[in-house]
Amino acid sequence: MSPLHLELRNVSKSILRKVNNSRVTTQVLSGLELEVQGGELITVMGPSGSGKSTLLRLINRLSEPDSGIITLNGKNTRDYDPLELRRKIGMVFQVPIVFRGSVRDNIALGMKLWGSYIDIEALARDTGIPEALLDADALPLSVGEKQRVCIARALANQPEVLLLDEPTSSLDAVTAEKVEGLLLGMRRERNLTVLWVTHDREQAKRIGGRKFMLRDGRLEEVHV
Amino acid sequence: MSEVPALALSVALVILTAAYARRLGIGKEISISGARALVQVLILASVILLLFDLPLYWSFLVLLVMAVVAGHTSYSRSGKLERTLPVAIVSIAIASLILLIPFFLLGVFPFEARYLVPTGSILIGNAMNVSSLSIDRYRGEIRNRRAEIEAYLALGAPPELAVADSLKQGLLSGLIPSIDNMKNLGLVWIPGVMTGMLLSGANPLDAASIQIAIFTAILASNLIASTLLLHFSTDSFFTKAAQLREDLD
Repeated sequence: MSPLHLELRNVSKSILRKVNNSRVTTQVLSGLELEVQGGELITVMGPSGSGKSTLLRLINRLSEPDSGIITLNGKNTRDYDPLELRRKIGMVFQVPIVFRGSVRDNIALGMKLWGSYIDIEALARDTGIPEALLDADALPLSVGEKQRVCIARALANQPEVLLLDEPTSSLDAVTAEKVEGLLLGMRRERNLTVLWVTHDREQAKRIGGRKFMLRDGRLEEVHV
Repeated sequence: MSEVPALALSVALVILTAAYARRLGIGKEISISGARALVQVLILASVILLLFDLPLYWSFLVLLVMAVVAGHTSYSRSGKLERTLPVAIVSIAIASLILLIPFFLLGVFPFEARYLVPTGSILIGNAMNVSSLSIDRYRGEIRNRRAEIEAYLALGAPPELAVADSLKQGLLSGLIPSIDNMKNLGLVWIPGVMTGMLLSGANPLDAASIQIAIFTAILASNLIASTLLLHFSTDSFFTKAAQLREDLD
């Protein structure tokens, strides 16, 4: 397998925002450039509304850039089957959303979609989900437990790249620290390529890796 | 000859209701709707009268026009999503036709315009109501569940799986009024067909048998029409790259 290579070239994107009941188009990314090698950890910082989430959405094609090219292993992401691309590029959202059914059903979704085999018990153990919880209904779980389920569900797809959209910002401080540690541990063990978006400068310091600030629609490498 | 007093009563009731409803600010709307209903029904009666003397395909043509108007109404409820207009027309037409055929195959009604047009229009009208309710709710569910749907998509799930719960809710909310009506059939109200037959002197058992057949046909055609419409309109909520469209809100 050739080493992973993700590249964004001259990517621009405007989004529609509701301001006082009217829709306003705002340019959030403007000529953005980024190159990521396999196994790298990239931390993207920036204030709210600076386009961090939009950047991740473009990479796994939940949204389309207005201009510019995104390539995965040299191939334009537009030329991938979008469902297959999203399996390769997993995403964990800021607010964890679990689906109706048990924790096991949630984690096994990728297995059902792709016909692959995953050791659910082992994955649950790795992501800090107690085995007793596997057959519990996922909807009433705490936010922290839900986020662990979402992480396990994304990892069950065996993605090549994992996009993390402020995965700890909706959690309380203690849980956030645990989930942060869990994600960093999983990344090391699996040599995952990770793009981690955060607005928290201190967290960016703890995470490590190459750090970027999203400013005026572009990424600037910073050393914090 | 009861049509003159019946029409006079209708005109008088529209005027009186509109006069009262002026206080609620809907007097004009009631006057216009009442006048439209009167004119439309009289035109329909004249068309049916004409159809009695025309070959039967003319009746089917009239039903097709009804299905097109019904489809357009449901399409408007969908927020005028692209591709939904033909889907709505075809769904309502197919569902109504499927349930219309047994009435004539089994000999419940003679295969004549007198029976074909009213029975077809009952099925089309009900299928339209349920389709409109269903697609309106489906669209609302998709808008409200954007985060959940995108969480599915982000895992590589196909749009059909991502909206499965929204589709189910859409179907349920469309069908609940029909199911409630069926539950209360004969308890709270005597439905239209049975009333009509009783008023024209039919045996109550005959009227009841026809009514229940029509009612179950309505429910079945409602289910088929709304299922077809929601299922085949799902693609309209997504781009070709399986992205949930951003202009739904």
